[in-house]
Amino acid sequence: MAIDSVTLEILKNHCRAAAESMAFTLYRTAHSTFVKETEDFTTGLTTPDGETFATPTDLGATWFVALNYKNVIDLIDHYDEGDICLTNDPYSGYVCTHSPDMHIWKPVFHEGEIICFVVGHIHNTDVGGAVPASLSRTLSEVHQEGIRIPPAKILEQGVINDDVVSILLANVRMPEQNWGDLKAQIAAMNTGERRVHEMIAKFGVETFKEGIGDLLDYAERQARTIVADLPDGDYVFNDYMDEDVANGYPCRIAMKMTIDGDELLFDFTGSDPQIEGSVNIPTGGEVRHVLMMIGLIYVLYSLDTRLFLNAGIARICRCILPTGTIVNPKFPAAVGLRTLSVQRLQAIIFGAFVQAAPDRLPASPASGGPIMNVNAIDNATGRRVVASIDPITGGAGGNPWQDGTDGSGANSSFLKNTPVEVNEAEVPIRILRYGLAPDSGGPGKHRGGLATVLHFLSQAPNTKVTARNRDRTRFTAWGVRGGRAGAPSYFLLNPGKTNEVNLGNTDILTIDPGDEVLVASGGAGGWGDPLERDPGAVLLDVQRGFVSLDAALRDYGVVITDGAVDMTATSDFRASRSDEGSGEFFDYGSGRIEFDHLWTDGNYAALTELLRGLPVHWRFFVKHRVFEAMDVLDAAQRLGDGSEVRTIFADVIARYPQLKQAAPQ
Amino acid sequence: MSYRIGVDIGGTFTDFCVFDEDSGALHTLKVLSTPERPGEEVLAGMRELERRYSIRPADVSYFTHGTTVGVNTVIQRKGINLCLFTTEHFEDVLEVARLKMPDPYDLFSRRPEPLVGREKVFSIPGRMLFDGSEDTPLDEDAVRVAIAGVRAVGGTGIVVALLHSYRNPTHEQRVIEIVQAEAPELFVLSSADVWPIIREYERTVTAVVAGYVQPRVSHYLTSLQAALAEAGVSAEPMITKSNGGVMTAEAGKTRCAQMLLSGTASGVIGACQIARMANVENALSLDIGGTSADVAVVRLGEPQYGVGEMIGDFPIHIPTVSVTSIGEGGGSIAWVDPQGVLKVGPESAGSTPGPACYGQGGTQPTITDAFVVSGFLGNTGLGYGEVSMDKDLGVAAITTLAEPLSMSVEDTAEAIIKIAVSGMYLEVSKMVSRYGIDPREMSLVAFGGAGPMLACHVAQELNMRRIVVPLTPGVLSAFGGLIADIKNDFIRTVYLDLDEQTAITVHEGFADLRRDALAWLRDEQGFEGEATVLYSADMRYRGQSYEIDTVLGADSSVADMEDAFHREHERLYEHADRDAPVQIINLRMVVLGEPPKPSLPKLPPAGGEALAHKMAYVYSNGEWRHGGIYRRDQLAPGHHFAGPAIITQDDTTTCVLDGFTVTIDDYGNLIIEVAGA
Repeated sequence: MAIDSVTLEILKNHCRAAAESMAFTLYRTAHSTFVKETEDFTTGLTTPDGETFATPTDLGATWFVALNYKNVIDLIDHYDEGDICLTNDPYSGYVCTHSPDMHIWKPVFHEGEIICFVVGHIHNTDVGGAVPASLSRTLSEVHQEGIRIPPAKILEQGVINDDVVSILLANVRMPEQNWGDLKAQIAAMNTGERRVHEMIAKFGVETFKEGIGDLLDYAERQARTIVADLPDGDYVFNDYMDEDVANGYPCRIAMKMTIDGDELLFDFTGSDPQIEGSVNIPTGGEVRHVLMMIGLIYVLYSLDTRLFLNAGIARICRCILPTGTIVNPKFPAAVGLRTLSVQRLQAIIFGAFVQAAPDRLPASPASGGPIMNVNAIDNATGRRVVASIDPITGGAGGNPWQDGTDGSGANSSFLKNTPVEVNEAEVPIRILRYGLAPDSGGPGKHRGGLATVLHFLSQAPNTKVTARNRDRTRFTAWGVRGGRAGAPSYFLLNPGKTNEVNLGNTDILTIDPGDEVLVASGGAGGWGDPLERDPGAVLLDVQRGFVSLDAALRDYGVVITDGAVDMTATSDFRASRSDEGSGEFFDYGSGRIEFDHLWTDGNYAALTELLRGLPVHWRFFVKHRVFEAMDVLDAAQRLGDGSEVRTIFADVIARYPQLKQAAPQ
Repeated sequence: MSYRIGVDIGGTFTDFCVFDEDSGALHTLKVLSTPERPGEEVLAGMRELERRYSIRPADVSYFTHGTTVGVNTVIQRKGINLCLFTTEHFEDVLEVARLKMPDPYDLFSRRPEPLVGREKVFSIPGRMLFDGSEDTPLDEDAVRVAIAGVRAVGGTGIVVALLHSYRNPTHEQRVIEIVQAEAPELFVLSSADVWPIIREYERTVTAVVAGYVQPRVSHYLTSLQAALAEAGVSAEPMITKSNGGVMTAEAGKTRCAQMLLSGTASGVIGACQIARMANVENALSLDIGGTSADVAVVRLGEPQYGVGEMIGDFPIHIPTVSVTSIGEGGGSIAWVDPQGVLKVGPESAGSTPGPACYGQGGTQPTITDAFVVSGFLGNTGLGYGEVSMDKDLGVAAITTLAEPLSMSVEDTAEAIIKIAVSGMYLEVSKMVSRYGIDPREMSLVAFGGAGPMLACHVAQELNMRRIVVPLTPGVLSAFGGLIADIKNDFIRTVYLDLDEQTAITVHEGFADLRRDALAWLRDEQGFEGEATVLYSADMRYRGQSYEIDTVLGADSSVADMEDAFHREHERLYEHADRDAPVQIINLRMVVLGEPPKPSLPKLPPAGGEALAHKMAYVYSNGEWRHGGIYRRDQLAPGHHFAGPAIITQDDTTTCVLDGFTVTIDDYGNLIIEVAGA
């Protein structure tokens, strides 16, 4: 370390103060309600090379701690004092990760030299494109996801570049909001710049320049200490999203993590080809791409909350991200709904790490619930209302010490709900139920957190309901060390009525007065053998309405009679079932078990390997044809060793002579 | 003879501030708190006042009191066995809260366990709607079943919080009637009665915190009234409130939700008064105790108000003087992390065992120990001689860190102070950015046991040039109670688009609130002096989900109201949209009655130089320096001297760094400024 450790600690507090002040300034002066409600924004400070050395932790999204701005910084050919640059193009430098995110950076000069950059982003409600809010599963090219501004100066030496502003604003649906929020971002950059100048005055420019590098080194050393504590080895973990596109086929993200001393390698070879939809994760193959680091940062911080959060942490990790896959799509693949796949990716990283630290990390968080929006005409005022009514989050996985938190937690902890009373005041719906879903938490010695459930009644005709990021109806949150998977999520129209419809992973729906919608996230996975759960805890769960009497008996082997645990009957019953556990480290739930029956590891590995040999634009198409054929495969031909996939693949290829003309990539 | 007495009970000490109405003098006293036997310290203090100053209970004309009984009950989870009745299908309101977790980066982050477990939440069928109409009638039989459930779990109290009760409380009221008829032994509270706001979690958690502590607080106030009466104090005790006002102890028994944060609030009220006396318009108040530092914004001599302040782990959504609490105080412990970096807090030695230098069994190095090592503390006793300092123990504790850091003991001590102060800087930075204010243009009013000790360091870090240390910095909350108004807040949800038609509803609503407000002041408080009524409303642009409390006039026109809102939006958020439609969500009213207040006299000017009564060696900025030790009671207006210096008084020690100068103003306040400013 170059500067002394006392000065480093003081500098650290000042740098964090600068980042937090930027965040508060942005939050305070932002125009759109979306920014205030969702806090989907960040601020930060980077080195001249673009590495983020300080971020806020009180406000804002949790994703961009390790963001490196170098690629976009380098795309601007020179900087003058007073310049501010921006981009929202996911394919210019892979800093921005979907078009609604407007990233902004400003160089901070001292005596003509760039000392650091102040940076940040806001998720704009809309940046134009094919659909309002710019995001939809149905989109397949980034061009449909709104206007893209490649890295450009929005301010040149303090003067607004009206050309850039007017092009941007001409292409969005609510220009005043985008402009208002952009002004808030600019205000935040100026706050950050002023704070940096104050720090330079306080610490001296040389100390500051060395110190910010030391802050990165410090976080890196902390991260190395944490990882060095974990056993070396390869840890494989794969999981699936229910659908790659609407009514499509499952989509796999495959990962092999290698721990080697205090270094990590994340190898995503074996992940699905890029999708003809918008859940692709745009990384450009960057070995430390920020979206691949989110799960890592959650894990390391949870292992030691003293970890200082900055991009130094990412230095200990490298990724292999094969081109043309969901984790490194080729332009112009759509990427708008990468939130869904990135959430799954986070839990996959958790799944790799929990094998290395089974007594220190939790089972899978719930997820699968949507962000619910309603768009309808209010009966009383005749006005159209567009409102985000609630994120349906679901709980955290059970952990070695405690049950998972119910209703929210783990990697969805930053989201807030909307009060029932406010929803009923603002939106023409009546809420019939909002709370926790009984029996949804994965059974375990420490139970998985319960799902959240929302049930409402429409009050107006032609009410549009969107349920973004629906998943986990089939592939549920995994339990660990004998803990069971959480319950699947669901989305029903008119539940329990003659006109009930199971909406599956549908994400858009039109309803009329009298229609009811019932939606729940999945439940989180459990930790440890449920037959070892303290019977008193099971009883309390029953008294709380979190676990039914039936489930107490079935899942936990606890006999409850007249409101009390029958200890003798419980021990006897548990003893009779003691050989019940599968002995497997993970429990993925029945949906996955059924799928794995057909799609064994051997089969899926064969599929991804074969697809890799095809041109990128054929892969998704061929995957679907193979899935179709597998679904109707005769039971006798199922060997599970990959051979049936090879046979089917050969048949598919033979059906399409056009493929021969396409150059392999 | 006639005396006004303010008392504030804190975790360690109970503070007394006495105003002698004849001489205009202020007397102060600290006695040890007796949390196990609340109220006893008040009587002990009264006896001590009589012994020291011959103040007899019969001579007490006015008595104000702030207590932490309520807060401590929540923190220690020693409230009653409380149950909750909610609307059917919304029983998880406390479990789900607003979803967000305290630390969103930590996969293990949890919300605190609710004060009412889900097994003690009972469903009440029946439904009110947003407009106040009844959708489904109350199921009265279900209420009786729920009462049986309460008895089955041994519950002793019930909070009733039903959907939309802020708009139409008749279901809640009917439930209460049934409980009172069927189970008169149960304590019962309606959420709309505690504070009728829209947002079910916020209203419910506020009522639950209130219900959880109210029987305890009520019992305490009854004992206090009896004890004071027995001691011969005939004045009805007044209780300080979270909103910075006071109310009668009798009112406190049923309105304890309003008094939970009274200690911090009355400290800020005291700081506002000091700021006005010292001709300071805008200030930060800095109250540092053993475990925390409370910072508040004083704007134009007035505190700022907010909702959602924390009582232990829980937010309470009634109007409260807005204070940012930082988890660092004189007892914060310094440690070295595995990377060899020195850290301070968040662990604290608190008051037990306290800093190592207190010699009460603490061995870990604290901020206070660092001040002992650097020579600023330990020259006299602390807290009226209740605690003595052992310098050697402080040095020994700091030495445990100096060795691994390979630094001298005094450099380690200074590093601990600087790191602690940079942590406070971080939190204050967030606060000033939230308010959009610039501390460099403000003064720092420092008080509390450790505020004057750290004030110069904090001011330096924030680039503030001026510090005010009041005459009685150790008992400013007690002083604040003495000058507080009789005060109450009223709210009514209207949720209207503001236009000429809805303006009638606004004006009618204000008229109703005004009737309620005056009834409270006249009938409940028995106040006969002049009443002040302040009008304001929670307003927003349509589509926003957060409101701004906007000051209005008694009969503002629609245009006036809109204009006031645009201006306030501009002031807070730096932009306004004069074409956008405006909504009024809540009407608010504050009623104030001003009791006779102490008027503090100007002190006679000094007749000569301030004389240090002895010299000390103090360590700052890497050097040992000579500094004078001054006794506060020997300083008078006109005195001035330069740092480094130490100013001792019974209730605290003020540390002045080199580069600062001290003058004494007409009221005896220390004005500490950056030299050459």
